[in-house]
Amino acid sequence: MATLRLSALRKTYPNGFTALHGADLEIADGELIVVVGPSGCGKSTLLRMLAGLESISDGELVIDDRRVNELEPAQRDVAMVFQNYALYPHMSVADNMGYALKNRRVPKAERRRKVEETARLIGLEDLLDRRPKQLSGGQRQRVAMGRAIVREPRVFLFDEPLSNLDAKLRVQMRLEIRRLQKRLGVTAVYVTHDQVEAMTLADRLVVMNGGRIEQVGTPMHLYERPASRFVAGFIGSPAMNVLDARLEGDSLTLPCGTRLASPVPSPGEAKTVCLGIRPEHLSVVPEGDAIDGDLSVRVELVEPLGADTLVHARLEGQDDPVVARVDGIRAVAEGDSLALRPDAGRLHLFDPETGQRLDPLEPECQHSTFPA
Amino acid sequence: MATFRHHRVTPWLLLAPQLAVVAIFFFWPAAQAMLQAFYVEDPFGLGRTFVAFENFARVLASAEYYRALGITVTFSVAVALGAMALALLLAVLADRVIKGAGAYKTLLVWPYAVAPAVAGVLWGFMLDPELGLVSAGLGALGIDWNHRLNGGQAMVLVVMASIWKQMSYNFVFFLAGLQAIPRSLLEAAAIDGAGPWRRFWTITFPLLSPTAFFLLVMNSVYAFFETFGTIDATTAGGPGGATRTLVYKVFEDGFIGYDLGASAAQSVLLMGLVGLLTLLQFRYLERKVQY
Repeated sequence: MATLRLSALRKTYPNGFTALHGADLEIADGELIVVVGPSGCGKSTLLRMLAGLESISDGELVIDDRRVNELEPAQRDVAMVFQNYALYPHMSVADNMGYALKNRRVPKAERRRKVEETARLIGLEDLLDRRPKQLSGGQRQRVAMGRAIVREPRVFLFDEPLSNLDAKLRVQMRLEIRRLQKRLGVTAVYVTHDQVEAMTLADRLVVMNGGRIEQVGTPMHLYERPASRFVAGFIGSPAMNVLDARLEGDSLTLPCGTRLASPVPSPGEAKTVCLGIRPEHLSVVPEGDAIDGDLSVRVELVEPLGADTLVHARLEGQDDPVVARVDGIRAVAEGDSLALRPDAGRLHLFDPETGQRLDPLEPECQHSTFPA
Repeated sequence: MATFRHHRVTPWLLLAPQLAVVAIFFFWPAAQAMLQAFYVEDPFGLGRTFVAFENFARVLASAEYYRALGITVTFSVAVALGAMALALLLAVLADRVIKGAGAYKTLLVWPYAVAPAVAGVLWGFMLDPELGLVSAGLGALGIDWNHRLNGGQAMVLVVMASIWKQMSYNFVFFLAGLQAIPRSLLEAAAIDGAGPWRRFWTITFPLLSPTAFFLLVMNSVYAFFETFGTIDATTAGGPGGATRTLVYKVFEDGFIGYDLGASAAQSVLLMGLVGLLTLLQFRYLERKVQY
């Protein structure tokens, strides 16, 4: 149980490559922070710096008011679950779990008691004598979790722990990790590239791109008010549609001629912007009922998913097809012409050059903290 | 299936060259040695008499044989342990090197390409009582080095030369073994509170044990048989038989003493001994080898 403070944390490798350009973040006690981003965005480097496996080039890392930059991994009292589980192949499950306790010279009887207690908590009590080789992927994952839990560390670090599991098990373990983390109340940092995992697990999400933190906030906040085009594209599936538009006064004009009311009025002269509309905020309107502001499109592809259907459609003047998510199985066929009506209250505008959101974020949302 | 059945002869034909080599250079001489062990033969091979187990009885009754056995045990244990320990140390160090790792590894593997006799001459020169650089240095430190007179020093010399030769072989295997250990295991151990020393003994070393076991078998065989050249070039079994190992005695009795029967009996015994040793190692040590 601990609070973490990252101030301008930076990682530059000896070859000059900078993996992390100054990360600032405060993590509250008991909070589950998920760091998400594409491969190579620096999220694993960040996690490894927290663990002490990578040195910190610049900035400060504070755990519970104590600077830990120079501390060895062992002294930081953090536990980590690795992507490949990193179980010791020559030790039984019980020895794997008890290894850290043994290193701390915990007496044998107490060690045994703690290992058994943890094994019960995560349903491993029948497997304590097995070697990792004799376990399934899901069981190995559990042992890796158990090894972290039994130590009662101040911080849990998870490095894509579910990426080697099949889809069904992944969903199950995701719920279990969340449940255990809340039950134990241990502060946790969880790295993943899977945005669904990120959304469902996180108290707060950290979206990273190119070695920088793009945005920090609750999953719903990031979904509703993405700070940049990158976050908008990364959070939510299918990704947000981004259309070219011209902003003049309080109206937006699309290349196809459609005019929409802008959520952000621009008093200055006309400028080019990127208009973001999530697929779920577009509804299908029969062509005859179309009004001003509806997008006239031609359907290219229909993907029925059961609960809802994805409609990929061509809008004049846009390179990429527009995707709409509509309820159930609609009588929409490829080649149809129809109108898509955007939800006027849920439009996002981004600067085409910087990718930043145009309307200012409310200050309290920029650094929303988890309610203690 | 029919197509496969037609080719029953082809595999044997393809194996024939290798089988011929093994048969001519291994099985035939081994059979000859076995046979010869039951005969007394004159030095020129003009006539021989069947004597049943008399050669064995003579060998096993001789104090010289037991002395050589003792020397062999001392020598083999020292060589096997020394060569493995040093190779492991070097492999661990080389595993950490990032810059110029290729050059280091090449240099460390080189001694293996040196012929045993050359290695012996090299070490003999360095420690030559009159000319040697190292022995001169030792003299300056007050150590009077003369392996031509001092049996203990002679043993140290052959052990060192033999270790130096075998270390490269062990090094290659240990390095490969080390590099096969996933980094995340050692990182997990570091996070679990194990310092470098503990990490090595509780994670790295157990994971290297299959490699170490294999090397133990190979090194025992090496120390028993393949050190002949090294010994012959440095001490020739001397002084006073202080470095006369079993394999060297086989050579001495057979080709210097011309007692071919006794020599053959000894080589049969030696063969049995190494077979037994390997069997023991497989039976008792392999079980303890981790995972």
